[in-house]
Amino acid sequence: MATETLLRARDISYSQGKRLILDRISFDLRRAQITTIIGPNGAGKSTLTNIVNGLISDYSGAIERSAELRIGYLPQKVYVNRLMPLSVERLLRLTRISSDAEIERALAQSEVAYLRQRQVHSLSEGELKRVLLARTTLGNPDLIVLDEPTAGVDVSGEVRMYQLIGELRDQLQCAVLLVSHDLHLVMSQTDQVLCLNQHLCCSGLPESVSQHPEYLALFGQQVSDSIAVYAHHHDHEHDVSGETGAHHHD
Amino acid sequence: MMSRAKPGRIIMTEWLDDFLWRAVIAGLIMVAIAAPMGCLMVWQRLAFLSDTLGHAAVMGVGLGLLLQVKPIFGVLAVALVIVFSLSRVNSLNNALSETTLAIISHTGLAGGIILVGLLPAPTINLEAILFGDLLATTSGDLLSLLLTTILLLLLLWRHWRAFVAVSVSREIAQAEGIEVRKIQFLMYVMIALLVAVMMKVMGVLLIAAMLVIPTTSARLFSRSPEQMVYISGLYGLAALGAGITSSFHVDWQTGPAIVISATALLLLTLAVMRLVKPDLD
Repeated sequence: MATETLLRARDISYSQGKRLILDRISFDLRRAQITTIIGPNGAGKSTLTNIVNGLISDYSGAIERSAELRIGYLPQKVYVNRLMPLSVERLLRLTRISSDAEIERALAQSEVAYLRQRQVHSLSEGELKRVLLARTTLGNPDLIVLDEPTAGVDVSGEVRMYQLIGELRDQLQCAVLLVSHDLHLVMSQTDQVLCLNQHLCCSGLPESVSQHPEYLALFGQQVSDSIAVYAHHHDHEHDVSGETGAHHHD
Repeated sequence: MMSRAKPGRIIMTEWLDDFLWRAVIAGLIMVAIAAPMGCLMVWQRLAFLSDTLGHAAVMGVGLGLLLQVKPIFGVLAVALVIVFSLSRVNSLNNALSETTLAIISHTGLAGGIILVGLLPAPTINLEAILFGDLLATTSGDLLSLLLTTILLLLLLWRHWRAFVAVSVSREIAQAEGIEVRKIQFLMYVMIALLVAVMMKVMGVLLIAAMLVIPTTSARLFSRSPEQMVYISGLYGLAALGAGITSSFHVDWQTGPAIVISATALLLLTLAVMRLVKPDLD
């Protein structure tokens, strides 16, 4: 069960005009595993997730999806036009019919049940991301695709968000494909890392990827930056920290 | 167009049987379709597209006259050519470029005016095309308006969830199984049809106003997409009533009178809301 392969990608390449964006990427997504794509800006992270969830179809290579794979998707940017009146509840029911109980459960799981009747355009960035995370869990997804789920979220919110994603994986037993800019924050929740820079620089367990020379060449500076941010965060908050979260889940 | 002398009761009754009722019915049909289409177009930032198709419709009128077919077919042909070309260049993630629309819009208008000018003089009332001529609605106009509206309402009813989902996020809609490109293309074709039928009532220059202004008033109260459609229908209805009445009594042109009424209602609503809720942004 834990190793059932839901999606198999083989030699995925994609070009826009003459520019090669992805070069022969292969990986598997397995049930109840969290796969994190990291890479610098322009590495093709969003392109790869868009190929996985079917937004882009003119790639070369092969993707085998298990039969009737249900996908929940949280895009990097959702901009809801202010001229559109839309409650959180309605946003959750956008593409499918869900019962009141399912809506309640999904919002509660992401700790935003109190937002149910609010208008979407009045939410903060962090609240919107939680709501969007909740909606990916409706309809029993086999795979949840999250493109930078913490963009615009503050650091303590970011740590909690990754913990929530881990909990969702445990409860729903679905595969998670996550795009992140920061391996250290997601490390404790990740089973497989794909380090991407047009080609797959390295992949595997987070501990081994973080030691890989290509990873260090790409992220050497950013890693030390993120550790600095971490220390700062730790100074000010004592109840929620990434490290304690990591131990809970091991 | 209208007699300035106040008609007596008996003459008025005859007129009611005749053109005024046709005008009212045409207006009602237009309101029924302008509300849902207007909301969708505002949500998807497509209001400017209707303006473009409206302006370019003048070219369609000219072509229609040149080829000796009914102007509405010329308008429909031009609108369809434009939406087909736009849907080819418009990828999943790009909204329509304002520049492209402005170029098409004004080239269509300019070309159309020249084309109409080249034709033998009295064939056409340019003013009626530009600003509408609701009171001159014929039974034939009414029938084509009714049939097109029924078709559009059926399509809206059938695909409403998909239209709303695409309005919120094309990416989410696509990933969760909605065929966004098809829905978008369908929307474009529906807008082309809408412009062709609304032209008679509103005039090509004022179509967008009827799609945008009642919708904006409705937004002030609405808490859900469907609520906004119903409320903008009510605002459209009020603007239509006020517009036709003033057109009848003061001899204003109907299209502009409806638009001015719609804007007056919007301003009135804003003023009342400011009184009731002074903290409104």
